Amino acid sequence: MIFNWGYSLMQLHAKRSLDIALFELVRLFLTKRGLFAVAAFSICWLIVLRYAIGEAVNLLNSPNIAGFIDQVFGAIGLSKLLTWPQAELAVYWLIAVYSFPSFCLFLCADQTVGDRQRGTLRFLSLRATRAEIILGRFIGQLLILIVLLSITLAATLAMFTYREPSLFFAGLSHSLILLGYLVVAVMPFIALMSLINTFSRSARLAFIVAILFFVGGKIIVGLLAWQLPALEVLNYIFPGYQLADMAAQNAGLMLAVGLPLIQTMILLIFAERIFARSSL
Amino acid sequence: MSTLVKAQSVTKYFGSKLALSNVSFEINTGPPVALVGPNGAGKTTLFSLLCGYTFPSSGELKIMHQQPGNAHLFGKLSALPQDAQLDPGFSIIHQLRFYAQLQGFGKSQAKQESDRVLELVGLSDAAYQRPNDLSHGMRKRAIIAQALIGCPQIVLLDEATAGLDPVHAREVRELISTLSNEATFILSSHDLSELERLCGQILHLDQGKLTEHNALSQSTSQQHFFTLRLAQKYEDVEKKLFALAGVRNVHNSQAKEYVIEYEKSAEAFDIQLLKYCHQQGWQYQQLVNGNTLENQIFHKEH
Repeated sequence: MIFNWGYSLMQLHAKRSLDIALFELVRLFLTKRGLFAVAAFSICWLIVLRYAIGEAVNLLNSPNIAGFIDQVFGAIGLSKLLTWPQAELAVYWLIAVYSFPSFCLFLCADQTVGDRQRGTLRFLSLRATRAEIILGRFIGQLLILIVLLSITLAATLAMFTYREPSLFFAGLSHSLILLGYLVVAVMPFIALMSLINTFSRSARLAFIVAILFFVGGKIIVGLLAWQLPALEVLNYIFPGYQLADMAAQNAGLMLAVGLPLIQTMILLIFAERIFARSSL
Repeated sequence: MSTLVKAQSVTKYFGSKLALSNVSFEINTGPPVALVGPNGAGKTTLFSLLCGYTFPSSGELKIMHQQPGNAHLFGKLSALPQDAQLDPGFSIIHQLRFYAQLQGFGKSQAKQESDRVLELVGLSDAAYQRPNDLSHGMRKRAIIAQALIGCPQIVLLDEATAGLDPVHAREVRELISTLSNEATFILSSHDLSELERLCGQILHLDQGKLTEHNALSQSTSQQHFFTLRLAQKYEDVEKKLFALAGVRNVHNSQAKEYVIEYEKSAEAFDIQLLKYCHQQGWQYQQLVNGNTLENQIFHKEH
């Protein structure tokens, strides 16, 4: 298996993977269906920004209930967020760190499965290796999420700059750091969908399998860990294990960046190996 | 002449179902090769193996000394896979440009190449339409266009003319005939007269087994047959033809069609046969030198 994977890696052609990735980006922004998806996404985030983030910021900045907010955030381990001068960014972070990975499962549900069912992968596989297809589609989905994350962060940046212009520069660098963390956080979720796509028969089924993996998997690991506490370590196989610590800004670099990167690499290797052996 | 495809004892199972059994053959550069056989014979499976879409259960298959699906074959082997559809979200030209770019063409070259192949299949006017806006035949021609991008050395066309109207089917045949000097085509079709016109070599699959593998011209020249197709039904044709000098056997292969086997020594038998038709007042439609591919295969399968 290692030899085969090494051979696949040697045959990897960066330009072909990038061409495949960019084609996915074009799919989102230059096709009717993609534009509808972007429009729906933008409307949802407009509502989140206007009502959730906007109203929450008013509450956070209200001196009347500051003590109560301190207590609540302290109780759920989020007190560090209250120290951020850009309150909008703190609320955005809380929403984005949980919503984007979940949104990923839905957005990336059809990476290769639709093309495999339709036979389009047969044209691609005569021009790109299976590893390039998997990697290209993964990078494509990642680029899409980077664009969507950037749009939402830019909107949040605009919100707090409008409220207090002096927050712009500090907020910009803070936003870029958050963008980096969010991008790394979504990577294993995209890779998980890449893997599920290699054996699923439809995008809908891929989404259901992902949900079952999280729900069923957590129950099984919970039961195993109950019998043998050392098996708690199995929780590391689940993408997003670090999200609670990340949300509270308590995750170290290894947990916030290292773990998702390792999970991504392992998931992509499994995806490539299964895809390389499956019939198109 | 170099070996393009070499199959040695290739066997393919789908679960417990045997799709190909111990198939061995070689294909060299040259005229188109026909892959024939009834439904379920294993033609599409063999195509899928050649393209690297699926893998043999046992045996060895090499395309230009490489495993099918190897990156060295990109741009050298192209295919029209059966039932595969283009992406419905993009225009035909957009997808062809993308495929050309994957094959190594630069952006402007990819545009030129896509225009060229679309013109070859007569789809220049539909370049900016999406696959779902096209008829079945036009979609098929668009898929044939993707198989012609670049300079492929092997082109596999699975049922290339199925579903095309006679005019476009003929255009595709002419295209294959024209391009067959540049690439070796491997064709599967149920239109045996089409394959007979185009191909120089035949692979006959039946129930997953390769039952014949030889050149069409060779098989016909050694067997001394004529296939006579008459314009209408006449009385006692079989009996009368059998009575002719040099005739060894006659059988009524299908309505108004007779396969005549004659002695090797019988010289200019075709002239003698046509004169006899004229004497009898029989109008003929066609005289084929040899046994038609259709008759050969029908004879083998029954």
